[in-house]
Amino acid sequence: MHLLRSAFLALVMLAAQPAQAQAPRPLVWGDTLPATLDPHAIFDVPSQFVLLNVYDGLYRYQGNPPRLEPWLAESHTVSADGLTWDFTLRAGVKFHDGSAMTAEDVVYSFRRLLTMNRGPSAAFTPVLTPDRVTATGPLTVRFVLSSPYSPFLTAMPLVAIVNPRAIAPNVVNNDWGAAWLAVNSAGSGAYSVLPGNYQPRVSLDIQRFPDFFRGWAGNPRPVETVRARPVMETSTRVLALLRGEIDATDSYLPTDQVERVERNPRTRVARDESMRVFVIRMNNMRSPFNNRDARLCLTHAFNYEGFNNVILRGFVVRNGGPNPNNLWGNPPDLVPYAFDLTRARAHCDAARAAGVDLSRPLEIHVQNELEQTVQAAQMYQADLRRLGITLRIVPNTWPGITSSTTRSETTPDMWIHWVSTYFVDPENWVGQMYDSQFHGTWKASSWYSNPEVDRLLRAARTSLNREERQRLYADATRRVVADAPDIWVYNTVNLRGLSRRIEGYTFSPVGSGGEIRLMSLAE
Amino acid sequence: MLAYIARRIALALPALFGLVVLTFILSRVIPGDPAATLAGDAATPAQIADIRARYGLDRPIMEQAWVHMRQVLSGDLGNSIFSGRPVSEDIARRLPATLELTFVALLLATCLGIPLGLLAALNHNGPIDHLVRVLSVGGLAMASFWLAIMLQLQFSMEWDLLPLRGRMDVPLGLPPRVTGFLLIDSLLAGRGDMFVDAARHLVLPAVTLALPGLATIARFTRSGVLEALQKDYVLYARAAGYGRFRLATIYVLRNAITVTVTQIGLLFGALISGAVAIEAVFDWPGLGTYAVQAILSADYKALLAVTLVVGVIYAAVNVLVDVAQALIDPRVALQ
Amino acid sequence: MTALRHLMRDPVAAFGLLIVVFAVFVATFAQWLAPFPDDAFESNIMQRLRPPSAEFLFGTDNLGRDIFSRVILGTRSALLVALAVVLAAMLIGVPVGLIAGWRDGWLSEGLMRFTDVFLAVPQLILALALGQLLAPGIFTAMVALALTYWPFFARTVFAETRRLRGALFVDALAGIGAHPARILFLHVLPNAAPAVLVRATIGMGFTILTAAILGFLGVGATPPTPDWGLAVSEARQHLPDAWWFATFPGLAILLLVLGFNLLGDGLRDAADPRLRRSRH
Repeated sequence: MHLLRSAFLALVMLAAQPAQAQAPRPLVWGDTLPATLDPHAIFDVPSQFVLLNVYDGLYRYQGNPPRLEPWLAESHTVSADGLTWDFTLRAGVKFHDGSAMTAEDVVYSFRRLLTMNRGPSAAFTPVLTPDRVTATGPLTVRFVLSSPYSPFLTAMPLVAIVNPRAIAPNVVNNDWGAAWLAVNSAGSGAYSVLPGNYQPRVSLDIQRFPDFFRGWAGNPRPVETVRARPVMETSTRVLALLRGEIDATDSYLPTDQVERVERNPRTRVARDESMRVFVIRMNNMRSPFNNRDARLCLTHAFNYEGFNNVILRGFVVRNGGPNPNNLWGNPPDLVPYAFDLTRARAHCDAARAAGVDLSRPLEIHVQNELEQTVQAAQMYQADLRRLGITLRIVPNTWPGITSSTTRSETTPDMWIHWVSTYFVDPENWVGQMYDSQFHGTWKASSWYSNPEVDRLLRAARTSLNREERQRLYADATRRVVADAPDIWVYNTVNLRGLSRRIEGYTFSPVGSGGEIRLMSLAE
Repeated sequence: MLAYIARRIALALPALFGLVVLTFILSRVIPGDPAATLAGDAATPAQIADIRARYGLDRPIMEQAWVHMRQVLSGDLGNSIFSGRPVSEDIARRLPATLELTFVALLLATCLGIPLGLLAALNHNGPIDHLVRVLSVGGLAMASFWLAIMLQLQFSMEWDLLPLRGRMDVPLGLPPRVTGFLLIDSLLAGRGDMFVDAARHLVLPAVTLALPGLATIARFTRSGVLEALQKDYVLYARAAGYGRFRLATIYVLRNAITVTVTQIGLLFGALISGAVAIEAVFDWPGLGTYAVQAILSADYKALLAVTLVVGVIYAAVNVLVDVAQALIDPRVALQ
Repeated sequence: MTALRHLMRDPVAAFGLLIVVFAVFVATFAQWLAPFPDDAFESNIMQRLRPPSAEFLFGTDNLGRDIFSRVILGTRSALLVALAVVLAAMLIGVPVGLIAGWRDGWLSEGLMRFTDVFLAVPQLILALALGQLLAPGIFTAMVALALTYWPFFARTVFAETRRLRGALFVDALAGIGAHPARILFLHVLPNAAPAVLVRATIGMGFTILTAAILGFLGVGATPPTPDWGLAVSEARQHLPDAWWFATFPGLAILLLVLGFNLLGDGLRDAADPRLRRSRH
C-alpha cells in the first residue's frame, strides 16, 4: 500500500513539475529529415533542407514564382549549338573548413555525382558524362553535352558543390566518401552540420557558418543554431507546434488543422501557392485504361469540388493539367475536367459498347502515411460505386509504389501522388511525365504514349528559344489533357505551421521555404 | 551450474539459427524491388541495374544466403535500404531508448502488480478480488496503442500536464552519452533538470507499457498467494495463530521474486511488442519507431534486422531467467 | 456439461460469455443493427467529423461516415479474422503437436525445434515483418498471424499428448492393435480438447488485439474496411478535436477482447480440476 501510494505521489510530483525557464531557445525545425545527408545520393523534398542550408549550387531558385539566380557561379555562356556551357565562378567562396572553392572542386562535385549515379544525377546522365566536365581556368568550368538540353541550366540548382579536401581523408573502398558524407557535411552553405548530434530520422543540428560567401549583412539577427527534430505523426507535430516544442511543421499541414494553428496566439500558418500537383495515375497500357472513353469516364467521376473545397477546405487550387497553373508553358485557356456523373456514365457506356470490360475491380494504390491519398481514394471509391465500377484501395508506400513502376506489368492500375518541383521547367512535369522515353520511371508511370506528344516534347527539350519552347509545351499539354491519361486534381497551396518567433520566412516552391539563412528569431 | 548454463545456451542456438534462415527467406519473398527503392526518386532503369549489381542482388540465391549468414554472424546486419547506412549502427543508437522504457515499465509493473495481487488474494472472492481480476484481465485486453492515445489525449493534449512526445525537451539538449539511458546519463552529468525532464517524458509511455505486465504479475501473485495459503504448513501456522496478512507477506517476500522472475521472460515479449505501437504514438526514438519507419519506407533490411535483434535479446532474457531460477532453486538445474 | 455449469457459476466468466455471445449476435445481424449499413464504404463528406448526437451516436469520421455503424460492422470482420486465424493456427499446430508428442525421435525433435524458431521472436514483431514483406493487406495479416500463432497450439497439444500417451487406455488401445493415427485423433485429441479450447479462446482475444495493432500500424486491414485498429489510426490525425473518432473503436476492441479473455480464464479454471481445487 505504501509502495502504491508513494509511486502515485511520485507520478503526481513529476506531472506537476513546471517546464523550466531556459536560456535563448534554438530554432527547432519539425520538418521531415532526408534519408541521408549526402546531397549527391538522394533527391527528394526533405533532402532540399540540407541542399539549401548546408550546400550551395552554381545557381539557386529564389522567391515565388521562383527566379533562377547565379549563386556560386557569376555568369554563364552557352554555344550556339546548345552543347557547350561555360560557367564563371564567384571568387572568394569559402568552404566550412576555410579552404577556397575552385573550378576543380566543381568538376569533382559533378564527377562524383555522375559516377555515383544516384539521386539528382538522373537529370544529367542522358546528356553528360564525367569526362565532359572540365576546369578551363581557376574559376571557369566547361560542360560539353552530348545533345542539346535546354533544361540544363534549370537543373543546376540540384547539384551541391562539395569540398573534396574534406572528403578525401574519408574515402573507403573508392566510395567517393559516400559512407562519411551520409552523416557529415562538406559544403560552403550558410550552415554546417554538427556531426556528433546527427541521428538519422531523429535529430540533425546545424550551426551558422560566419564566413558564408554572401555574408550576413542582409540579416542582422541570424539564427545561430537549428535543431531539426522531425515529428513522425501529423497531429503530434501540430500539437508540438502549438505547445512551442517545435517552431515549424512540415509543408503538408493538414487543412483540418489550419484553423487551429491560426487561432493559437503564438503560431501562424504560412500559405503560399506552390508548384506541387496532386495526380491520380492510370496505367494506360492496361485495360480498361487503354480506352480513351473509359479514361474520360473515370476523369469525370472524381469529385474535384468536394475534395478540394470540402475535405481540403479550399486550401488548394484546382489544376486541370499536369503542369502547375502558375508555370510558364502551361496553356492558360486549359479547361479542367468537371465532376459530372452523367457524362461519366455516357463515356463508360461508350467504352462498354467498344468492348471494354469495366466489371473487373480496379486497384488504386495509396501512400499509407499520407492520409490525403487515402481520403481521395475513399471518396473516389464511393462515387465510382454509383457507376458500377469497383475500386479496391491498396495501401502502399512511396518506395513500394515507385519500385513497382519500372515495368508496366507491375505498375498498379491507379495510384496517387504529388509531383513536386524538382526544377522549375515544364520538363519537370509534362516533359518527364508523358514523353514515352521516360517509361520505367515513376514520373512516367501512366505509360502514356503518343508519337505527336513525344515529338513536341523532344523538340521543346532541345530548343534554346524560350518562346518556341513555351508554344511546344503548351501544344503538348493540350494534347495530353485531351487524351486524359491521368486525373489531375489540384496545385498545392503550401501550408506550413510556424511559430510567430520566426521572422523573415520566405517561401519558394523549390525547398518549400526551408532556407534558414533568411530567418531570424524574435525575442 | 556452469554446465547447466552452457546447456541452456546451447538449447537457444538452433532457434536463433533457424531465425536467421527464416529472415533470409523472408527477405527474398518481398514483392517490391529493393534495388529500385535504393536508387531513389529520380532513378532511371540503368541506375537501378547498377545498384542491383553493387549490392549483389543479381547473384545466385544460395550465394546470397551464404553471404547473409556470414554477415549476420560477424555482427553485420547489412545496410538500410532507406539510408544506405549500417543497420547495426542505427539499432545500437536506438536500443537504449527502448530498453530504458522497457525497464521502467517492468519496474512499475512489479512494484504495483505484487501489492495488487496480494491485496486481491487476501480479499479472496470479495469485491476487491473481483475488481483486481477484472482489471488484470482488462489490462491484457486493452489495445496498447489505443490506451497510449487516450492517455496522450487527456494528460498532454487536454490537461497539458505531461510531455506529448520524445525523450527530452529539445532546448535542454542531451547529457553526454555514456549508457544511452537518459535517466542515468543525466545523473552522471549532474543535471537534475535533465533527469526530471527525462522522467516526465517517461511517465505516459511507461505507464501504458506497464499495464499488461502489471496485470500479469498481479494475477500470478494472487494465485500464488492463494495456493500458498492452502499449503499444509501454512494451515498449521495459521492454526498456531499467525495472522493471514503476516503469512502472506512472508510468502510474498520469499516467492514473489520467483514468480516475477519466471514471468519476466514471458513478459518481455509482450513488452517489446507493446513498445512498437507505444513508441510510434509517443514518438519515442527507439527500436519500435525504427521498425515502424522501416515499414513506412519498405526498408526490409531494417525490419529483418530488428526482428533478429529482438530475437537475440528475447533468447538472452529467457536464458538469464532460467539461470536466475536455477540459482534461486537449484533443483531446476538438476532436471 | 459440468464444466459449463461450473462456468456459469463463476460471475466473471459468465460475464465474458455474455460479451462474446452479444458480439456474435451483433456480428450476425450487423446489416440490420447498423443505422447506416452503407457507411461501410460510402462517404458523405458534407457531414464529416460531427460529434456524437442522437443521429450519430458515436459521431462521424473524417469521411462523414457514422462511427456507430462502422463499429457494429467492424465486429463481424474482427470476429471472422480472429476465427479464421485461430482455426488455421489450429490446423497447423494440432497435428504438429500430436505427431511430435506421440513418439520420441528425430521427427519429434525436429518438429519442436522448428516450432521454437517461431517462438524465438515475440509474435507481433514476426507478424509485422511477415505482414509487411508479403504485401500489406488483411489477408496477409491473417496469414502472418496464423503463421505466428500455431506454435502455441503445437506446444499445448504436445504437452497433452506427452501426458496422455502413457495413460492406461492408450496402452490398451495399442495392445489391441489400433492404428496410431486412430488413437491420436479419436482418443488422444478429444482428451486434449479442453486444453485446446482454452488456448483457442485466449487466442481469439489475442488475435483480435494483434490484428488491431497491425491495422493501426498500416499492415492490416485496408480502407474502407470498418476495421477498429485502422479507425484509431485514421483518427489520430484529428485529435484532440475529434476525440470520439479514436475512442469508440478502441472501446469496442477492449470489450470484445475482454470478453474472450474472461471466458478463456473461466474455461481454464473449469477445465483444470487442479486449479478448481483452489477456488472455494
